[in-house]
Amino acid sequence: MTEDRIRELLREMRDEPVPADSTARVRLAIEARSRSRIAGFRRHWKLWAGILALACAALIAITMREPVGIAPPAVEATQTQIPAEVSAAVSPPPAARRVVHRAPRAAPPRSAAEVIRIETDDPDIVIVLVGG
Amino acid sequence: MLDIPREASSSFDDIVQERETRVLRAAYRILGNWADAEDVAQEVFLRLHRHGVSFPNDAALGAWLYRVTVNLCLDRNRSVRPSCEMPELPSMDRSAETSAIREQEKRRLMAALAMLPPRERVAVVLREIEGLSTGEVATAMGSAEATVRSQVAKGIARLRGILNREER
Repeated sequence: MTEDRIRELLREMRDEPVPADSTARVRLAIEARSRSRIAGFRRHWKLWAGILALACAALIAITMREPVGIAPPAVEATQTQIPAEVSAAVSPPPAARRVVHRAPRAAPPRSAAEVIRIETDDPDIVIVLVGG
Repeated sequence: MLDIPREASSSFDDIVQERETRVLRAAYRILGNWADAEDVAQEVFLRLHRHGVSFPNDAALGAWLYRVTVNLCLDRNRSVRPSCEMPELPSMDRSAETSAIREQEKRRLMAALAMLPPRERVAVVLREIEGLSTGEVATAMGSAEATVRSQVAKGIARLRGILNREER
């Protein structure tokens, strides 16, 4: 067989039909696998979106719980500066607490003696301590 | 594969419909059996699905499809080590009619093609059967054009040697 004959036969092979069942199998497999790939992507997308939503909710909850405005160290500092005479003036005398014991069923009235009002150097900040 | 108008290949499904036959046939000519060719064709189009169908033109799409097909076929050839035994070629029946002889010659040629080294086989299939230009074959194989020309020439010479040896 000559090289020209080989080339001629090879060229003839160019237009030979492909088995129809082979083509159909390939097409079905491509369709099924590309669909499963898209479905997998969607599943993962939902999972990540859910995780992101949970993270956002947790972050918001943490942010809302934290007190905003009064800094705890300032409170500590002002508490140490309370003069002894001021504290003694606002605190109830032990005898007065015994006198109030009249109506056993009624809720005990919140007396002024249980509230400690502390003025700080800053006129806008007043610390109120309520005793139980 | 390269002469399809760009507008016709806008979606993935259209591309599969238009190019599936050529990809499948090229894979079959390189691998020598339809089952492996089907697997390769599936993988080629799934990669296209992942890659996306945005190509600057049809030539780029065609080159991409051939390159992936060739790479997958060569990978498959590497993983399934070819047998060292020479496959038995169909015997010549000289009393058959001309068309029957021609078909028999083609079968013998296909069997001989399977005996070529993988890269020579790919070069012959793409250049002589698929009708790509030397430049397109070089792009698909990631080789220089001179290498492709050499591989095609060696492949054809080797085919002639195999077929003539069997005829004697």
